[in-house]
Formats: sequence, structure tokens, C-alpha cells
Amino acid sequence: MLALVVAMVCGLVVGPTSIGTWRVVGDVFSHVGIGHSTLTGLQSTIIWQLRAPRMVLGLLAGAMLAVAGGTYQGVFRNPLADPYLLGVAAGAGLGATVAIVDVGNGLTTPTWTPLLAFGGAMAAVACTWVIGGKGLRSNAATLILAGVAVSALLTSAQTFLQQQSSANSITHVYLWLLGSLASADWQSVLLVVPYVALCILICVLSGRALDAMSVGEDESRSLGVRVRQVRLIVIAASSLGTAAIVSAVGLIGFVGIIVPHIVRLLVGTSYRRILPISVIFGAAFLVLCDTLARTVVAPSELPLGVVTAVIGAPVFVVILSLRRGSVR
Amino acid sequence: MSWVDVNHVSVKAGATTLLSDVSLGIEPGTWCTIIGPNGAGKTTLVEAIAGLRRVAAGTVQIAGQSISALNERERARLVALVPQHPQVPAGMTVRDYVSLGRLAFHGVLRSPNTEDRRVVDTVLERLSLVDFAPRDVTTLSGGERQRMVLARSLAQSTMVIVLDEPTTGLDLRHQMELLELLKKEVADCGLTIIATLHDLTLAGQFADRLVLLDHGVVVIDGASRDVVRSSALSEHYGMNLRVIDVNGSDVIVPVRH
Repeated sequence: MLALVVAMVCGLVVGPTSIGTWRVVGDVFSHVGIGHSTLTGLQSTIIWQLRAPRMVLGLLAGAMLAVAGGTYQGVFRNPLADPYLLGVAAGAGLGATVAIVDVGNGLTTPTWTPLLAFGGAMAAVACTWVIGGKGLRSNAATLILAGVAVSALLTSAQTFLQQQSSANSITHVYLWLLGSLASADWQSVLLVVPYVALCILICVLSGRALDAMSVGEDESRSLGVRVRQVRLIVIAASSLGTAAIVSAVGLIGFVGIIVPHIVRLLVGTSYRRILPISVIFGAAFLVLCDTLARTVVAPSELPLGVVTAVIGAPVFVVILSLRRGSVR
Repeated sequence: MSWVDVNHVSVKAGATTLLSDVSLGIEPGTWCTIIGPNGAGKTTLVEAIAGLRRVAAGTVQIAGQSISALNERERARLVALVPQHPQVPAGMTVRDYVSLGRLAFHGVLRSPNTEDRRVVDTVLERLSLVDFAPRDVTTLSGGERQRMVLARSLAQSTMVIVLDEPTTGLDLRHQMELLELLKKEVADCGLTIIATLHDLTLAGQFADRLVLLDHGVVVIDGASRDVVRSSALSEHYGMNLRVIDVNGSDVIVPVRH
């Protein structure tokens, strides 16, 4: 919780225009009727129209990706599962590439990018679900393999499109693939909030079911868990939420896989604890990463996906070595 | 109709028939052990009774309710399963593991209530697992682990428990102890037990009734004492078996040609 507050304050305070921490905090309190703000109009605009929506979108994205990753790891009982496992990333990547590459032809406008990314992501997961035997008769491994196949196909289609397009649009596609919160505004926040809040809630509530499913599919069914329904609901929720986030911020890697692992190391293997705490850690982690992304080389920005990987990869390696032999 | 009624059940896997027209009626409070050579269909039958296998033909009914018509949660309140190779998830405490048996009552969205916790406490005590309750499930020995799995199935408070080779991997003493525990539960709570066992001596000594399965078909079905003495037993196991009476208990031994 403390980490979350620290991250939120950092998200608001740190930036190219230096505004004192306490003045920002004072301004926040003044909005709820405590004390008076000492900020100028311009400073207030920077805080409330630039940094705040960006921070909120970062919180949502971090929380959603982390909880979706944790949920996938639980439902597939696979430590390598991440939110992009079933084709969300490849589908969104292809959708966004179509939109970006096509801009010059006049059929689509830049506003189509999130729409096509979202549609591509959902279509890819639906394909995986159908190919994987609708997840009803198949087991988790079949679904993962179907996801691998769908991802490979869509990624190759995307690569082909990129190869056929201009250098300029390749750069755009590439930047999109690395993820960024730079375009965040209140409108994009409002657009994803309903989906993401609902999906996070469903994921967090699935903790007890995922704990029960850790004894395997047949055994948990014999204990009264409706494994297929649980799987359908949590995969739908994780994928929908992830697709919404990806459409708004692009493909941010590593959050979905490392945050649940860090949390597992700290609080044990029960998903009843892992999932809610992943929401908090994921949110804090991504906002801190974004703060770094926009300050380290200011006034330009590092791609967010690079920062999460640069911080995430070493942490992941440390965890792996600490948990050697007992990673589940 | 019997308490557990397996009625002309066939189970197929692709083109292979695993069980063919199997019928069994098991009365409440009895222990029925299914024996047979490897590949006879014992596990399939047990899974079909627990509702985990789709049957190609026939029905399984428990207490008058058709197993295939129930959802998982309803089924879990009628019949509990002790699988041959239970999965023990690292990081889970013994108490949490046994509490999984109460899931069918409180559901996956609610916490266990006072009654659920009381049942778990009682079961832990009955199976002498109280001291193990806070331990990680992976730290238990084979015998303790199997007792814990049994505790989980007892926590389900069902009238029927099916066990698939519950003594796998246990030494002789622990095999006997586990089966004695189970026998006590049958006597105290009127449980109905359907188990598969490889050890014919133990099968004969603990069960009221033995069912010999071979190639998915019921070959012999009768009182334990009669079945172990049947010449068909040697025939279906493809070896020479002899029954020796040791102080009134039947001991079945293979004889080398």
C-alpha cells in the first residue's frame, strides 16, 4: 500500500517541470476541501491534465496486466504464463499494424489504432479458444499450444505487413509495440476504466477457485469446482481487460509475468493473496517505471516496455535463483 | 435400487472400450473392493462412479440421483474421491488442503463458515493430523500424505467415498493403518466405500465384497471369502494363486510354477 502511495506521488511530482512535492500534495488535498492550493494555473494544468491521467492509466495498466498474469499462471498452472499467452499481443499487434500502415491510404485514421488493436486481440483469443477445443473438452496444455499457434500465425502476418510498408510506419508500429503512456488523457482513462475495473474484480475473486485448481483438473472437479466455467470466466476477464489496456497503451511487457512472481515470493502460493497484492504491486511498479521512462532522458522518453524489461529482467533472474527448484 | 447403482455402464476412449456393460449395486455401509489385473478398467470404473468419466452407455446413480445429471458441486456432496496419485501443491498447509473438502459447501466465492471449520477440525483430530495442520503439504511422508488426502475426502461429508489404489507407495504397516482407519469410518459413520486395490490379501481382509474386473467386464462379484477362493481368480491373473488360512484370515500368495 505504501509502495502504491509513493508511486502515485512520484507519478504526479516527478517531471521536466519541477513542482515541489508538498505543493502538489497540498493541491491534491485542496481538491477535497482541505487547505489551499499554491500552484499556478499552468502548474495545475500540468498536474491535472498531463500527469494525473497518465498516472491513473499507468495504475490501471499495471494492475490489470499483473493480475491477468497471475490469473493465467493459476488457471494454466504454468509459471511462464503471461497475459499475452493466448494471442492477445499478436492479435493486438496485427490490428495496430494494419491501422498504422494503412494511415497513408486514407482508409483509417490514427484513432483506429486502439480500436483495431482491441478487435485483433479479442479475435485472436476467440480463435485460440475455438482451436483449443473451446477450452471445454480440452485441457490447459491444448489451449496454450493453440495460443502459440495463433500467435505465430498473426505475428508472421504482422511482420509481412511491416515489411511491405514504409520506414516511417515501421517506426510507428515499433513504438506502439513497446508500449507508452504518453498519449494518456482523461478520455482514454474513461474509455478503459469500466472494462478494466470489472476484469480486475473478477480476477481477484477467482483466487479461491484457482487455489482449489492447484490440485489438478480432475481432483478439483471432484471437490466441486466447476473447472470449465471457472476457466472460461477468468480467461475471458483476463483477456478482455488485457485487450482494453493494450489498445490504450500498446504492448507493455514483463509486468504480467514478473509482478505475480515477486508477489508469490513475498506472500506464498495462495492466489487469494497473490491476486489482490499483484493489483497493488503491478500498479505501483508500472507508475514507477513510467516515471523513469519519462525522466531519465527528458525531454524525450524511453519506451515503457524497455524500462519494465530493464528493471523486470534482473528482478526476475534474482527470483529464479532464489526459488531454484521450487518455481511453480 | 441400491444406494450406489452402476447400471449397464460402458465407457469408451476413442475406439477402445474400457468398460463394457458393468452393473453393480452397492448397499449403504458396505465396503466393496474392485480387483483385477493392470488394464482391467478399475480406475475407469472408479472415475465413472465419481462422475469424472463420461459414460458411453448406462447410468451411475447414487442415492437415487443420476451422477451425470448433477453439476460438480452437487456431485461433490454425494461422492468423494481419493485419487491414486493425488497432487500436493507446494506452499499449501495441511489444514488448507483438508479444507478443500468443504469447497462444495461454501463455494469458490465464499470463505469457510463456522460449520466448515468445525468439520475440518473434527476430521483432523480423528485422523491424528492436528499436529500437522500448519505444515506445508510437501513436507509430509507418504503415509501422512495419504492420511491427509483421506481427511480431505472425509471433510466432504459424503456418504460414499471412492478410492483408487489408496495404499500406493505405502509400506506394509502404513497400508494396514490406512485401511484400518477407513474401516473404522465405515463402522462409525456408515460410509460406503468403493476402492480399487492390487494387494489381494488386503482386499480380501478389508472388503465385504470383491468384484473382479478383467478387460472391462465384471468376471466375479461376490463375498470376499468366496471370491478369493474362486479358481477364476488364478485364471484371470494368469498365474497360480493359493489361499492360506492364517488364524482365520485369508492370505493370498502366488505360487511359482
